[in-house]
Amino acid sequence: MEERIRRIYVPMTETGFYILFCLQTPQHGYGIGQQVRQMTANAVSISPGTMYGTLAKMEKDGLIAFYSEEEKRKLYEITPLGKEILDLEIRRIQRLYKNSKGETVHA
Amino acid sequence: MRKTKLHLFTIADYEDEERWLRQQHRQGLRLVKTILPFFYIFEACTPEDVVYRLDYRNGSADSEYLQMFQDYGWEYFNCCTGWLYFRKPASEIQSDNDGEIFSDNESKLDMIHHVIKTRMLPVLVIFLFCLLPNWPRSFPGTSSPLDIFFSILFVSLTVLYIVLIAYCGGKLRKLRAKYKNQ
Repeated sequence: MEERIRRIYVPMTETGFYILFCLQTPQHGYGIGQQVRQMTANAVSISPGTMYGTLAKMEKDGLIAFYSEEEKRKLYEITPLGKEILDLEIRRIQRLYKNSKGETVHA
Repeated sequence: MRKTKLHLFTIADYEDEERWLRQQHRQGLRLVKTILPFFYIFEACTPEDVVYRLDYRNGSADSEYLQMFQDYGWEYFNCCTGWLYFRKPASEIQSDNDGEIFSDNESKLDMIHHVIKTRMLPVLVIFLFCLLPNWPRSFPGTSSPLDIFFSILFVSLTVLYIVLIAYCGGKLRKLRAKYKNQ
C-alpha cells in the first residue's frame, strides 16, 4: 500500500469511516447517509456536500469504485485497497477500545 | 411581483449572503436568480423561515451532485460565477446537520481552499504580474487629457485591487481559522 494513502486515511475521520464501512455493500450517497443515521441513532449525520466530496476523494484515491447508476444516482463499492484501509482502521479502533477499558493489547 | 436589489458580496462573504437571503425570505422575498454578482431578483412570497446555503464548485455541478442535494431535501435554484444556491424550509430541519450542506470542518475548509485557489490566486497573479509592472509606463509625464485620464484610471484600478485583495484575503483567513479551531 502507498504510504501517502495510509497517511491520509489512517486514522480516519468519523465521516470517512462510516462511508467506507457502508460501502462493503454497493450503495449511493444518500443511502449511505440514511444507513449511518440508523446505525448511530442519529448521532452521526453526513451532509450532502461532505458526502459528495468524500466519495469523490475516495474514488480518486482508489478506495472505492463506481458500481452502477440508478436514476442519476451513482452507486459505489469498496475496492480491495479500501478494504485493506478499513481493516487497518478497525484494528486501530479495537486497540483504542481495549486500552480505554484499561486492557493491554497483545501482539 | 418582482423586485431587484443591488448588493455586493465578495467571494469571502458567502456566509453573510446566506444570512441576508434568509432574512429576505422571512420578509416575504424569495430569491429567483442573480445576475452577475450584484443583482438579486426576488419575487414576492408568503414570509417563511427558509435556510439558504451556497456551495462553490467553479462550474462542475453534474447531475449526480444535484441529485444528492435534492435527496437530502435541498432545492437547487440558481448558479452564479461558480456559486450554487440551495435552500430548505427551516420546518424540515430536525437536527443541526440537516440545515448544513457540510457536516464537518474538513469539507468546509476544502471549499475555502478551492475558492482561494481558483478565485483569489488568479486575481493576485493579475495584480502582481500585469498591473504592478505597468506602473512606470502609466505616467508618461505629458499633460494631454487622454494620458491624465488613463493615469487616473490606472491608479483607481490599483487601489480597487489592493482593497479587494486585502478585504477578501483577510476574511478568508479568518474563516479558515474559525473552522480549523472549532
